Amino acid sequence: MSDEHTPVPSSPGSGGDDLEHGGTAVRRDGRLFGVLAEYDTPGELVEAARKVRDAGFTEFDCYSPFPVHGIDEAMGIKRTILPLLIFGGGFAGTIGGLLLQWWCNAYNWPWNISGKPSWSIPANVPIAFETTILLAVFTSFFGMWILNRLPQVWHPFFRNERFNHVTDDAFLIGIEARDRRFDPVATAKLLTDAGAITVERVHLDPDPEVRQMPKWITAFIVASTAFALIPFAIAAKARTSHSAEPHIHIFPDMDFQPKYKSDQAMDLFGDGRENRGEIAGTIARGSLDADDTFYRGIEHGGDGDHWTTAFPRQIEINDQLVRRGKNRFEIYCTPCHGHDGRGMGAVPQRVAAAGGAWLARNLVDASNPVAINMPNGQLFNTISNGYNTMMGYAAQIPHADRWAIVLYVRALQRSQNAALDDVPPDQRTGMQMPEAPRP
Amino acid sequence: MSVLQKSLHPDEKYKAGKLGSGLSNIGLGIAAVFLGVSIALGAAQGDHWKRFFYAYVIGWSYIFSICVGVFWLILLHHLVRGRWATVVRRIAEAMTMAFPVVFVAGLVFVIALLAGYKDLYYWAHPDAALCLEKTATGCHEYLHPTLVHKLGWLSPEFFAGRYVVYGVLFTAMAAYFAKKSRQQDDSGDPKLSENMRVASGPAMILYSLLTCLAAFDVLMSLAPKWYSTIYGVNFWGSSCVGGFAALGLLVLGIQRTGRLTHSVSPEHYHDIGKWMFAMTFFWAYTAFSQFMLQWYGNLPEETVWYKYRLFGEWQWVSIAMLVGFFAFPFVFLMSRWTKRIVPSLVFFAVWQLVFHWLDLYWNAMPSYDWTVQQHGAAQIVVGPMTGNTAYHHVGFSPIDLTVWLGLVGVLLFGIGRNLRGNLIPVKDPTLGLSLAHENL
Amino acid sequence: MSTTDATMDSHHAEAGKAREAFRTVTRDVAWVAEAPKPHKAWLAALGVSLILLAIGLYSIYVLVTTGIGVWGNSNTVCWAWDITNFVWWIGIGHAGTLISAVLYLTRQTWRVSINRSAEAMTIFAVMCAGLFPLLHTGRPWFAWWMIPHPNDMQMWPQFRSPLMWDVFAVSTYMTTSILFWYMGMVPDLASFRDRCAARGDKLRAIIYGSLSLGWRGSARQWHRYERAYLILAGLATPLVFSVHSVVSFDFATSQLPGWHTTIFPPYFVAGAIFSGFAMVFTLLIPARHLFNLKHIIKDEHVEAACKIMLGTGMMVGLAYGTEFFIAWYSGNMFESFAFINRAFGPFWWAYFLMVSCNVLVPQAFWFKKVRRSPIIIFVLCILINVGMWFERFVIIATSLARSFLPAQWSYYTPTRYDVGLFIGTLGLFFTLFLLFFRYAPVIAISEVKGAMPEAHAGKKH
Repeated sequence: MSDEHTPVPSSPGSGGDDLEHGGTAVRRDGRLFGVLAEYDTPGELVEAARKVRDAGFTEFDCYSPFPVHGIDEAMGIKRTILPLLIFGGGFAGTIGGLLLQWWCNAYNWPWNISGKPSWSIPANVPIAFETTILLAVFTSFFGMWILNRLPQVWHPFFRNERFNHVTDDAFLIGIEARDRRFDPVATAKLLTDAGAITVERVHLDPDPEVRQMPKWITAFIVASTAFALIPFAIAAKARTSHSAEPHIHIFPDMDFQPKYKSDQAMDLFGDGRENRGEIAGTIARGSLDADDTFYRGIEHGGDGDHWTTAFPRQIEINDQLVRRGKNRFEIYCTPCHGHDGRGMGAVPQRVAAAGGAWLARNLVDASNPVAINMPNGQLFNTISNGYNTMMGYAAQIPHADRWAIVLYVRALQRSQNAALDDVPPDQRTGMQMPEAPRP
Repeated sequence: MSVLQKSLHPDEKYKAGKLGSGLSNIGLGIAAVFLGVSIALGAAQGDHWKRFFYAYVIGWSYIFSICVGVFWLILLHHLVRGRWATVVRRIAEAMTMAFPVVFVAGLVFVIALLAGYKDLYYWAHPDAALCLEKTATGCHEYLHPTLVHKLGWLSPEFFAGRYVVYGVLFTAMAAYFAKKSRQQDDSGDPKLSENMRVASGPAMILYSLLTCLAAFDVLMSLAPKWYSTIYGVNFWGSSCVGGFAALGLLVLGIQRTGRLTHSVSPEHYHDIGKWMFAMTFFWAYTAFSQFMLQWYGNLPEETVWYKYRLFGEWQWVSIAMLVGFFAFPFVFLMSRWTKRIVPSLVFFAVWQLVFHWLDLYWNAMPSYDWTVQQHGAAQIVVGPMTGNTAYHHVGFSPIDLTVWLGLVGVLLFGIGRNLRGNLIPVKDPTLGLSLAHENL
Repeated sequence: MSTTDATMDSHHAEAGKAREAFRTVTRDVAWVAEAPKPHKAWLAALGVSLILLAIGLYSIYVLVTTGIGVWGNSNTVCWAWDITNFVWWIGIGHAGTLISAVLYLTRQTWRVSINRSAEAMTIFAVMCAGLFPLLHTGRPWFAWWMIPHPNDMQMWPQFRSPLMWDVFAVSTYMTTSILFWYMGMVPDLASFRDRCAARGDKLRAIIYGSLSLGWRGSARQWHRYERAYLILAGLATPLVFSVHSVVSFDFATSQLPGWHTTIFPPYFVAGAIFSGFAMVFTLLIPARHLFNLKHIIKDEHVEAACKIMLGTGMMVGLAYGTEFFIAWYSGNMFESFAFINRAFGPFWWAYFLMVSCNVLVPQAFWFKKVRRSPIIIFVLCILINVGMWFERFVIIATSLARSFLPAQWSYYTPTRYDVGLFIGTLGLFFTLFLLFFRYAPVIAISEVKGAMPEAHAGKKH
C-alpha cells in the first residue's frame, strides 16, 4: 500500500484498448470518460486546479482525502445556496412549531390548565425553538446530500486504481472528456506541466449493463420500503375504522380484577344475582328510626297503638315551621290538592279539561271533614305512604318536613273554615267574607 | 492547526501618540457638559434627586458593564491560548483599565447612600424596617417580613464596603493583565504569556463571583423583595453584548485615525461580530429563562417584577427589547456579511450599545415608582413595586439621557488615559497568528 | 538539470513523508476495525456489558409487565432514580455535541482526535436517557400519544407542559446527533470501503460502500459538505443549550422550593458538559491506551479536557453558591428550609457526596501533575460522574421528600429494579460503544488529516 511513486511521463495518445496498468492488464475498455492526474501535495493540487480553471475547463473536479484549504477559490467554486435553504428551513420550523401549538391548544381544543392562557407564547417558545432547529438540521443534512447528488455509489473514476487512494492519501484532478476544451493530448500535457506525478486515462466499461444499478439492489430497496410501510398501514387502518372487538390489553395489569361488580350475574347464589339485598333483621346504620311517633306518627298507648293527635316532641311549633310547611306544601302537594287545599290543583284541572276525572281529596272541607278529623299521625302516614292514587312521598320529604306540612295543613284547614271572629280585631277592617265557598 | 503567520506590517502605525489624551479630553468634556446639565435637571425635577440617582445608577451600571464585558475577552483569550484577539487585546486592556475611574464615578451614589440618602434604594429607607405591631421583646408584625432579615446585608455600610471590594479587585485584576501585557512589549518573554494564562483561571472565578454580586447589589436590590438566581448571569450576558460592541467601535475609531490599518482586518471584526451575535443570543436565553420560569411558576412575590414591565406603558419598552435587543440583531448578525462589512457592523454595534442601555433601564427604572400608603394615622412610603400598574409610567426624562451620556464621557476619559504607548502587543508570541487570522 | 532533479527528488521525498503520515492515520484508525480477532480486553468488556444489559432487560420486563410499583417511588417522592438517571444520561450526552460542535466553532483543532467517539457517546447516552421517560409513564405502549395526531379521543398533547418540551427537545437532539455523527463518518466510511475493496473483502466493501453513499472526495462536494458541517455545528450549539435547559425546566417551572429557581438552565448546561467530559475521558483514557491511539488522542488533549472540567465544575459550584445565597436572601422560609434540609436532613450523605465530588474533586485539576496522570484522571472522572448523579438525586429526592406539607414527608429507598435498570443502561451504553469502537471509524480520519501540518504541504505562502 505504501509504494513510492516515481515520476512517470504520461503515455501519448494510445487509443482505447488493452492498456497496461501497473502490471495488470485491464479488460477491453469502452469510451474515454476522462483523465486523472495525481499530485504530490495539497499545495500542488491547488495550483494545478487554478491552472485548469484558468485554461477554461468547467467539467473538472479535484479529489482529496480531506477538504484542501484554498481549493474552492482556485477552482472557482461558487458559494453554495445551502445556507439560504437552511435559513428557510429553520424559519419554516419556527412558524410550523408555533402554528402547531396554537392550532392544537388554542384553537381546536382550548383547555384551561392551571390558568395559563390557551395561547401561551412563553410556554410555546421551547417547542418552537426545537422545531426550528429540527427543520434546519433536516434541510442541512438532506439538502447537502441532494445538492451533492449523493448517494451515487458508482462513478467511472472508481475504475482507476489510483483513485481508490483518494480517501487515503492521494490528491487527484479529474477532467471529464465531455468538457468542450478537452483534448486527450493537450489536456494531459496541461496537467503534467502543472506538476502531475501521473496522468492516466479512464474509460467507461464497454458493457452498458455494468454501469447500471444491479437489479437485485433496486428490488431490495423497493421491497424493504414496502415492508417498512406495513406497520403504518396497519396503524392507519386501525385508526380510521371501527371495530366491535374489545380492546387489546397488552399488559392486563389490573384491568381484569377477580371481583364482581354491582348487579352482575353470578352463579354462586341460587338467584344468579351478585346483589344480595338486605339481610333480614338488619337495619342500615342511621336508619333505626326507633321513635315511632316521629317517624311513623304512631303513639303506643296503654290500650294499643293509635295515630298521634299531637305533634312529636322533636317538633317545635312556631311561625318558622308553618312557613316551612307552606313552602314544602306548595312544592309537593299543590299540584293535586291546590293552593287552598280544596283538591283542585293543576293536575285535576287538566284532567277535567281533557274530559276525565282526577280526585284529590279536599283537605279543608268542613262539610265532609275526613281530613279535618284525621289525627296528625294519620295525615303524616298518608304523606309518607300515599293513599289510592296518591303516591307516598317518604323518599322525597324528610320526616321533619312532613310534620311541617301536617302543621300547615292544619293551618289551612283553620284558615279555609274561619269566621270573622277568628280574625284578630285589629286586622278586621277591609276584610270581606266570600259570598260562597269557592269550588 | 493553522501554521499561517504574518508579521507586523513595516509601515504600521501602532503607537498611540496623542490618541489617548485626545480621547480622554473629549471624554472629560462630554462628562462635564452632560453631568453639569444633569445636575441642573436633577435639581429641577423636584423629587429630591430621586430621578437623578436612578439615572446615575443606570448610567454607572452601563459603563461598569462595558468594562466587564471587555474583560471577559481578555480573560478567555489568555485562558484558552486564543489567537485571533491578540491584535485588539491591548485596546481591550485599555478599556478594562477604566475600572478605577468607573468606580470613582460610582462613589457619587455610594457616598449619597452612606450620607443617608433614602430614596434610591428602599432598603436604605427607614420604612423598610418598619414594625407595625411591637411586642415587649421584639416585633410581632413587620411591614416587610421578607425584607427585614437581610437589612444587615442590604445596609448602606455593608453595601459600600462591598462596593469598595469590587472596585479594588476589578482594578487589581485588570491591572495585572494590562501590566504583564505591557511588560511583554519590551522583552517578548513567552513566560509572561504563561503567567497571564495561569492567572486567568483564578481571575475568571473571581470575575464571575464579583460580577454576579455586583449585579445583585446595584441593580437587583432596587427591588429588594424580588430575587432571581440567574440575574447576575443575565447582566453578564448583556454586558458582553455591550462590551464587544464598544470594543468594535473603539478599534474602528482608532483605525480611522490611521493607526492599526494593516493589522486589524475584516476577519477580526467578523470575530467581534460573532461574539456580539453569540452574546445577544445568550442574553436572550437568560432573559427568557428568567421570565418564563417566573411566569410559569406564577408566584406573586416573583411575578410582581414582571407585572410592572409587561403591563401598562412598560410593555412597549419590553416589546422594544425583545425585537430590538434580540430578534432584529440576531437575525441580521447571523449572516457573515453583516459582520465583515464595516458600515454594517458599525450600525449593529451602535444599535446594541443603545439597546444594552435600554436593557439596564428596563431593569432598573420601573422600581422608581414608590407609593405612599396609609397605616392608621401614619403615612408610610412603601417601596418599589407596590403601586398600581395602571399608573406605572415610563416617563422618559431628558435626565436619563444626559446622565447616561455624561457617564459615557467618564468612561471615555478612563479609557483614553490608558491608550498610551503601543496599541498592539508587539512582542506577543501569538501576534503573528492573530495578524494572519482567517475565518472559514 | 541535475539540480532540478535533485530538488524534485527532495521535494518528492518530503511529499512522500507527508503522504506516509496520512496513510498512517488511516491505517492506525482502520486497524481497530480490521483486526481479524478482537482484542481480548474488548471481548472481556463486551461480556461484562452484555451481562449488565441482561440485568437491565430483566428489570424492564418486570417493570413493564407489573407496573411502577416495583420501583421505590411513592406519592411523596414521585420522581427518583428514574428522572435522576434521565438527566444524568442526557447530561453525559452533551459533552459529545460540545466537543463536536462548540470546539469546532471555536476552532479548537485538537478536537479532531476525540470528536467521533464523543458523538457516538452522545447518541448512545441519549438512547439510554430516553428509556427513562418512556418507562416511567407506566404504560409505555401509549407513548405515541405524545405525538400530535388526529385521534378518536379528540385530544391534543398539552404543549404548554415542560414534559412535552422534553419530548421535542430530546427527539430533536437525538435526530441531530445521529445525522451529525453519520455525516462526519461518511468520508471515513469511504476510507474503510476502499481499504476493504483493495483487500478483496467484498461483503464489508459493500456494507461500507452503501453507508458511505459513494463518497469520492470531490472538492465540489467537500465545499457543500463543509458548509453543512459548519452550519450543523452552529445549530447543534444552541441545541445543546436548549435541550438541557428544557430538561431543567421540568423542575424550574414548578413551585417546589429547591426546584423553582431561574438559574437552572445555564447551571444544568454547565453540569451536563462537566459530567459529559468526565464520561468521555472515562472511556477514552483506557481506549487510547489499549488501542495504541496515544499519538492521536494526545496528552495535551486530555489535559485540555481536564481544564474544561475544572471550568465547568467551578460554574456548577458558583450556581450552588448563588442558589444558597438567594435562598437566604429571598426570605422565603420554604426555600431556606429546602437548602438547610439538603445539607442536614435525611439525605445529608448524598449532599456531602455531591459537594465533594463536584466542587472539591475537580480542584485537583489545578495541578499539572494531575492533568498529566491518566490513571488519576480516570479515577477523578468516575468520581465526577458519581457526584453529578448525586447532584440530580439531591435536587429531585430531597426537595420532594421534604416539601410544603410535613404530613407528606417521607424517605426514599430504591428497589432492586431501580438499580437493575440503571445498571442495564450502563450495560447498553457500553455495549453500543464497544460495538461502535470495533466496527466504525472511531477517529475522524479525514478531519485529523485536515488538521495536520502536512495538510498544508506544498503551499506557497
